[in-house]
Amino acid sequence: MMDNFTTWIYIAIAAGLLSMAVALYLYFWVMKQDPGTERAIEVASWIKEGANAYLVKLYRSLGILSVIIGIIIALVFSIQPETAGGGAVTLHVREGVIMAVAFVTGAVSSAIAGYLGMRVAVEANVRTATAANFSLSKAFKLSFNAGAVLGLAMVGMAVIGMSMIYLWTSSAEAVLGFSFGASTLALLAKAGGGIYTKTADIAADLVGKVEVGIPEDDPRNPAVVADNVGDNVGDVAGMGADIFDSYVASAVAVMLLGGSMGLTQAENIKYTIIPLILCMLGIFASLIGIALVRVKEGKKPGPALNRGTVITCIVYAVILFAFVSLTGVYMGVFWAALTGLITGVIIGFTSDYFTNDNYRPVQETSRVSTSGSAITIITGFSYGLISIVPSIVGIAAATLISYNVAEALGMSGIYGIGISAVGMLSISGMIVSADAYGPIVDNARGIAEMAEMDHEVIVRADELDSAGNTAKAITKGFSISAAALTVLALFAAYSEVVSAAGIEITISLREPLVVAGVFLGALTPPLFSALTMLSVTHNAFDMIEEVRRQFREEPGILAGTHKPNYERCVSLAAEGALSSLILPAFLAVGLPLLVGFILGPNALGGFLGGAIFTGVIFALLMSNAGGLWDNAKKYIETGKFGGPGSEAHKAAVVGDTVGDPFKDTAGPSLNTLITVMSLVSSLFAPIIALVHLF
Amino acid sequence: MAIHLYLSLLPEALIASMLSPEDFGTYYAVGSAKKSRGQAMFFEVDPNFRHPYFRMEEAIQRCVPHEDGSLKASVYVSVYRVLEHMDLDALMHLYLTTMDGRTLELSPSNQIPNGTGNLHLYQEIVPVSPLVVSRLGPMEFIDQIVRNPVSLVKLPAIVFTELLLGELAEDPEMGLMENLPYSNRDHLRQCLTDVKTKYASTKMVDRTHSPDVHYRTIKNGFYVGNQEQLRYFPMPSPEEIRTNNYRWFRSANM
Repeated sequence: MMDNFTTWIYIAIAAGLLSMAVALYLYFWVMKQDPGTERAIEVASWIKEGANAYLVKLYRSLGILSVIIGIIIALVFSIQPETAGGGAVTLHVREGVIMAVAFVTGAVSSAIAGYLGMRVAVEANVRTATAANFSLSKAFKLSFNAGAVLGLAMVGMAVIGMSMIYLWTSSAEAVLGFSFGASTLALLAKAGGGIYTKTADIAADLVGKVEVGIPEDDPRNPAVVADNVGDNVGDVAGMGADIFDSYVASAVAVMLLGGSMGLTQAENIKYTIIPLILCMLGIFASLIGIALVRVKEGKKPGPALNRGTVITCIVYAVILFAFVSLTGVYMGVFWAALTGLITGVIIGFTSDYFTNDNYRPVQETSRVSTSGSAITIITGFSYGLISIVPSIVGIAAATLISYNVAEALGMSGIYGIGISAVGMLSISGMIVSADAYGPIVDNARGIAEMAEMDHEVIVRADELDSAGNTAKAITKGFSISAAALTVLALFAAYSEVVSAAGIEITISLREPLVVAGVFLGALTPPLFSALTMLSVTHNAFDMIEEVRRQFREEPGILAGTHKPNYERCVSLAAEGALSSLILPAFLAVGLPLLVGFILGPNALGGFLGGAIFTGVIFALLMSNAGGLWDNAKKYIETGKFGGPGSEAHKAAVVGDTVGDPFKDTAGPSLNTLITVMSLVSSLFAPIIALVHLF
Repeated sequence: MAIHLYLSLLPEALIASMLSPEDFGTYYAVGSAKKSRGQAMFFEVDPNFRHPYFRMEEAIQRCVPHEDGSLKASVYVSVYRVLEHMDLDALMHLYLTTMDGRTLELSPSNQIPNGTGNLHLYQEIVPVSPLVVSRLGPMEFIDQIVRNPVSLVKLPAIVFTELLLGELAEDPEMGLMENLPYSNRDHLRQCLTDVKTKYASTKMVDRTHSPDVHYRTIKNGFYVGNQEQLRYFPMPSPEEIRTNNYRWFRSANM
């Protein structure tokens, strides 16, 4: 029997259901809004069909992959050796089946959250554009509510899934299987979506804008629909799956650590459940924050989004304090969570400093663009490197503060680090709502352009869009720093799991196997980045040729008398993205297992350490440098340094094109990569501890 | 079916066409099967205009629909010394077409500005296309280059536009120029300083400058002049263009 504290799990499930119910209510509310003119509906239908076609292909492939991995997990966990080095095996069929079911459930939950978000996004795009005909506040409410569908569905699915698995099995390890399923799907959805969206974006820009001179989102561009589809599958479905994975992984890491707090059995269960409760409290805080996000006519939407985030943080801190005070939980839980929360917000805003055109890095990069693209690249890359500093210092500070606060208040320090990650991610409902709002209004603007709506609509969509960019920058900083703390907790959890298997783990740089592991781990994020970015260039090359061919063979496309073949570009992007996922998937799942089974658990520990450090650094560099180049180009497009068409603009376009796969393909996938590698290592740690070559 | 006459500025040519000005602009910029593309500027000429220099009737007779029924897009009447043989009163409207084929119509105005500021940057378009700086306002510039009987550098007629100089118009030595889109800006600053401080009133900045212009840099509008006549086609403000011609505004990178 579980302790009475387990009652909280039922409340967590109820909170998850409430979150899902509100998400569904908002979904149907969005669907009831006016989709607009016949032309707008037609344009939106192209995007909807393209997005659906891609997701069906993606989820079909991932479904097959999930079943295969599920079967492997079932087999591996059913047949385990009794002692180190092999020897007699014993059957643990129930354990194997539980792990496999948990894995598949995690993958399915992640897919449902991503699909729901994307589904509402493609419906909300056109309705937001139509609402912008009437007022900014109406369009804002519609797009933000649509974003909230993804945010609330994601946290609802995650909390329900984790709680149900734990209720069923009373095992944090089983929830680890759930998390592994969610993360594997997230990695492939994020990387696939990232490859898709940048393939289309680069092709649309390089041929349409640079070679032919047609503006952004012009329906004469054969790649424009693929570009808009990419925004949905990459920025909405992919991002939703990405945060879902970090959210679940951080909770699971702490659940694993909670089980080995070294207290009484009842206390261990209590501290295993606490991350679920923190997530539950975060749902309540997010619901309040979301409800209070409003824009009055004539006011700017950016402050409204930021106000929602700040209110959510304050509400969360208050109810967390009340919970900790009333239930006799270590006060260290409150302070560690608060540390994570504050750090997340600070890191988010420092990321904004490096990518916002109100500040020096973007302005300086724009200015030096007058001297050519080489200087643009060097400057942007250098600022990207500098941008790592505040985030890494923030992560280091959060690690030390949460560790020491937890220790000082009688709790395990490493548990405190995990709690800080959970604290940071608990308000994901609000963060994701604000983030998903960005691509929705971006697409609304695209539809308004393609449907040739009144220019007032474009003006309002521009205003909505500028608020979305800041939210996006904050979310990126938030998700990367949360992933860093999560994998640190997972790393500790990995050590706990190996120790629990009776193997003392020693990760020392004096051990050659560990050093080898560190090097192999350190090379994985750059190699993964290279593979995904090469996929983008390879696929973009094919699509560029296709777009050129269409313009060449049918002059009526540019003259506006013939409709381009959008389907061909959509299909090229989808096929290219899916076929590009095989190697990155192997790197994420196969390489840790190879290192573990061949070089042993100590080397695998070193491997994870190396991967975590280069992964976080590369993720920050790529996301911020890419965002910086993008905004430097946009800054010049406002008329600075010669404006559009000037030499500075040409150089900035080169920087932006380089930065596209940085910020939207490789960068955001890296935090998921290191999470997947940490999860697969922790999941297989008991077996690796017993079976390895060296 | 009506036959239109167009005086193309890029390149200089007189063309008969069955296409309306908007369709002709699109065809000229992007719609040609010969793949000739790019920015276009052209006047619509009074269809009754005739001049012995041009074999107009012969061209008009050839301007008939194709066998498949599609309209004849272009019959070139002349590609050499067209402007100098043009009656400027026959110029009805000026059309500016973007690289991607969107067209803006400019109507003539009798109120001709003589420019503000001490210094001016002129993009000559037809018949030659240098980039020139000058102390002279647009009216004096036409007088000097077209009507001054003692000038060594003289044209029979000219189409040109004045481009924005920002702070350089008043202060070429110290004025900020970082937001100007022109290439070789240090040389531009030097040329402006020279015309401000030295005897010469006009100086060539670039003798082979592309006649393509960033439309957003046009200060007032387009001037067309010859010995006797002067026409002016004002450019609407960016705000007016954004409100009334949003598609063109976007395509022209305004």
